[in-house]
Amino acid sequence: MKSIRHTKTLFYYDGPQVFEARDGIGGNYVGVMVEPEGEQDRFLIKGVSPERLRRFRSGLLDLRELLVGEGDEDWFLAVAPGSFAENFSLSPRSDSLEDSGFLPEPGFVLHDHATADETLREARERNNLVMEISVEPPEAAVEHCIRATTLAALLNHVQTVVKHAYGTALRGLSLDTRRAIDKSDAHLLNVVVPAAAGSFKVLFEAAKETDLLGQSEMARALGHIDQLFEHAGDPVRALQIVKEHKGHLAGAYLRLLRFLVENRTGIRYSWAEPNFTRPKMGGISESEAGPLVDALSGVSNLGAEAVTLVGALEKVDVHGTWRISTQEGEFSGKVRDGGPSLVGLKSGGTYRFSCMEEIEEVESIGLEVRTLYLLEHEPV
Amino acid sequence: MILQAKASPLLLIPFPPDTPPTDMIYREALPPQCPPEAADEITADLEVFRVVKTNPPTDLDFRSQRAMQSAAVWEISECLACGLSVFAERRDAEKLLKLPRLRGGMLATVRLTQGAGRIQQTFRPSHHTWWPFAGFDILAHCGRVES
Repeated sequence: MKSIRHTKTLFYYDGPQVFEARDGIGGNYVGVMVEPEGEQDRFLIKGVSPERLRRFRSGLLDLRELLVGEGDEDWFLAVAPGSFAENFSLSPRSDSLEDSGFLPEPGFVLHDHATADETLREARERNNLVMEISVEPPEAAVEHCIRATTLAALLNHVQTVVKHAYGTALRGLSLDTRRAIDKSDAHLLNVVVPAAAGSFKVLFEAAKETDLLGQSEMARALGHIDQLFEHAGDPVRALQIVKEHKGHLAGAYLRLLRFLVENRTGIRYSWAEPNFTRPKMGGISESEAGPLVDALSGVSNLGAEAVTLVGALEKVDVHGTWRISTQEGEFSGKVRDGGPSLVGLKSGGTYRFSCMEEIEEVESIGLEVRTLYLLEHEPV
Repeated sequence: MILQAKASPLLLIPFPPDTPPTDMIYREALPPQCPPEAADEITADLEVFRVVKTNPPTDLDFRSQRAMQSAAVWEISECLACGLSVFAERRDAEKLLKLPRLRGGMLATVRLTQGAGRIQQTFRPSHHTWWPFAGFDILAHCGRVES
């Protein structure tokens, strides 16, 4: 018997009313809830082409048309398995789908308004958060190109800013919520269109699909980035906002701005989730980036973050380096000249280390090296 | 019985131990950490729309997915399964009646007021999940019912 697996819920109301599914060889299906069977839900299942599914996701095709306009007469009924993670077993039907009474009324579309915006259209088609960035380095002025090293560094800088924005967003959540979110996943964005038409554009898609609410955890992170860019044309206001984000996010933002200045380009971005009505946009021009870099460079410890480590001291030496084992893992660091003395600390002893974590960039390509500097220690 | 996490002046009223104020108890048993912290307590009037089977609506029209299907396992969290789907926009709610499962239903307007429970925007923009307090008389707050 043919079977399919639920992949995405497209419309929810007291349960998944419309969902996407795949069979074992990658064929696309749409399921529509039709009636209960005992305590289980029963679904109409129909195979659909990728292109028609894309149009339905974008709001360009209505559900009834998606189901009956395919040209393929095969359709199925399936009772929801015990768990949606299990396969749905399909029961083929030989009667006409149009006469079955299971079809939706005409006019059911996922989005009432089709969009001409490229970012939003991509978000809907991919059913995921997408972010488009565009830059205009000098080499892109004469033809659609960008130097490989510039592109590599740009991607690294963008990923790094997003990563630290994600960390900032998580810190605003309760411990329970933070634990529920996979924060160990540092791989947050995938490049899905590396060289879109126009000034040099790159399209990213969230590495994790939207949650079952159609929302992406990445949206919280991008909200912080929107704040950073919101007053980019006003260095005084921008400085104030970046200071409010003091720490690794501010440091990564400053490194991105320096990169833009060095490569004589501004940056524009837009991002959207599938359920947005319009994308969110931001950016900074080349002429705006210079003064802001100057202003931010004067802020001491802009990119440093305070870190407290409590655990067993594993190693300490006369060169001022140390290693401590905490519940979150092992951490190594050093002591700056003039920093606290490590004399008297005992390996195996339990201590609280108050540190400042600083990030340095490797050769302007956006890669980071983190260093923990010990500021204070006390036995616990 | 689950109490909401945020403190409210109502909690200052001395209740006997282990007896939460009735308006802070949810209508249905909820799992831990539910509603989520992102859900807002309803403190101002809010009109929402829900599909009902009868006019006037009955309590049966306001049972959660979990209450209707005690053993099913969905891909959504148990917390969402214990909430009620409502729409903030009439136009979105009207679309529901085009779906085969909800065809023949009617659209009820429900006026949520302070003490109605907690609510969170979930799924499509105007879809919300509502976790009603036990003390909120839903049927008394139902307005127009239209097919």
